[in-house]
Amino acid sequence: MTNLRSGGCAVDMLDCGDSALRVVVEGPAASSAWRIVHGLAALLRQAAPQGLLGTLPTYDSLLVEFDCARTDHATLRAAIGQLADRIDGVPARTPRTFDVPVVYGGEHGPDLDAVAAHLDLSPDEVIARHTAEPLLIRCFGSPAGAPMMDGPAFGRPVPRLASPRPHVPAGAVAVAGHQAVVSACPAPGGWHVLGTTPLRMVVPDREPLAPYRPGDSLRFHAIDASDFEACAGVLS
Amino acid sequence: MNGRVTITRPGISAVTDLGRFAGGAVGQMTGGALDQYSARVANALVGADQGAPLVELVAADFAARTSANLLIAVTGAPADVTVNGIPMPQWEPFWWPAGTELAIGSIRLGMRVYVAVHGSLDAPLLLGSCAPDSVLGFSGHLHRGDTIDVEPGPVRIYHSPLGLPVMRAAVSQPGFSDHWRIPVTDGPDRAQFGAGAERLHAGRFVIGTNSNHVGLRLSPEPGASVPVRERTDEVLSRGVPIGAVEVPAGSELLVLHRGRGVTAGYPVLAVVTRVGLSLLGQARPGQSVEFVRVTLEEAIAAARAEQAAIDGLTWRVARLVSAHGAGGSPQARRSFAGRGSGPGAVAS
Repeated sequence: MTNLRSGGCAVDMLDCGDSALRVVVEGPAASSAWRIVHGLAALLRQAAPQGLLGTLPTYDSLLVEFDCARTDHATLRAAIGQLADRIDGVPARTPRTFDVPVVYGGEHGPDLDAVAAHLDLSPDEVIARHTAEPLLIRCFGSPAGAPMMDGPAFGRPVPRLASPRPHVPAGAVAVAGHQAVVSACPAPGGWHVLGTTPLRMVVPDREPLAPYRPGDSLRFHAIDASDFEACAGVLS
Repeated sequence: MNGRVTITRPGISAVTDLGRFAGGAVGQMTGGALDQYSARVANALVGADQGAPLVELVAADFAARTSANLLIAVTGAPADVTVNGIPMPQWEPFWWPAGTELAIGSIRLGMRVYVAVHGSLDAPLLLGSCAPDSVLGFSGHLHRGDTIDVEPGPVRIYHSPLGLPVMRAAVSQPGFSDHWRIPVTDGPDRAQFGAGAERLHAGRFVIGTNSNHVGLRLSPEPGASVPVRERTDEVLSRGVPIGAVEVPAGSELLVLHRGRGVTAGYPVLAVVTRVGLSLLGQARPGQSVEFVRVTLEEAIAAARAEQAAIDGLTWRVARLVSAHGAGGSPQARRSFAGRGSGPGAVAS
């Protein structure tokens, strides 16, 4: 356990096989844990210690991947421990907010009614809460770098589907637990789908692949199903 | 580019490399050759950078024609390799003359065969890697009639004395078998399985047919059983390592391989070692697996010994190429300058 001078948080670095470390921040506030793991990832990429292959920061944890023929756990633990004291110096970038049109309910949002029933709200109230405030992107998720966000202020967590759907299309706007997501590609999925956006989140021939970064936000607004085609395009 | 390879029988094949390591930070899978050992050795045998683009075949018969004389090497699972019907060796470089057809068939015991070329294969890059990503829709399988542009590289002489005996003695091949002993280290969440975690090492597991580059699904053989979580804490999505052994539900083990989604919420019971992942990249559905518990130190020592052997091979081939008056390929020179991969550099 490494104690950080800033924030009163503790950082735990767990062996994750011969080629990775899982860095977990155990502190009082989720937002400070998130700030620390993303700050550490940025500092680590910048420092580029020998053998570093990849960094995967999420909510409260960071997976550090490395080439164990060229470095090892102890070397990277020491490097991360040193960087941890410099997190407060990581310059904050100006966050962006993206507008995302959504057709809620019906065939575009097959679970809207079920989520409304679970939350003791009307479907319109669920939509109102999902569109009320921009949702903060915490990390890139799988598959394909989907924006993973804090969920809307529903007051209580939304359970996963009892049995996952084998096919959820790209653009599905979904919630589970206290999290929210927009699917970046077709895939199986166990989250409740509230609606679908005609915007593509990730495009393979664009650099960068997605315009958003953790710390940015998506602002959802409802559109009619008849406007779906007219709103089609790429998130920008 | 002054050569062209035309695919005449694609089987299941793709141009790939060691993977997209920069992808994880933006949520993209790593991908790349599933048997990294065989892929690195194939490139080393032809004096190419170990991470250079090469062709990966999966199980099915493959054939292609070349318009240029190419020095190539075929590694991976045992197969019948021929050029215009004449048998050719695996794990040794050989010449593939212009106008002839290379055929690779009857891939057996293992799943994947690698074909590397002295010089370079032209392939589009995404985040620094040509590895296909079926989820994103980047690159993909080769089709009949597809062409790959090739720069044949500096060694151009037929019947090259390119040190075959030296290399033959030095390259060890994976131990192909219907039963695989796969080394694993303890995962960070092993405690969640209590004493039942021992079950992972207590019997054999059979590889299911729904296994692929994303992951392998395994069910216990008679006498074996799947460890069960004793705690079911709700966890936030986390980055998962390649090689993670998970127990998502029911009576199956899931071992994540290079095409895994980078985030998930399941606890990680164990992690397959770097050496073990190359072996698992060859294991076929229906074959059995035993997960051998090793320490982190043992896993790293094995990975370094394997890498030192490949680096030694790269070094010897580069010396032979340069003794040949060709000066080595640009990739090989970059490898030495940029990666410190000469003999002994890694083992220190």
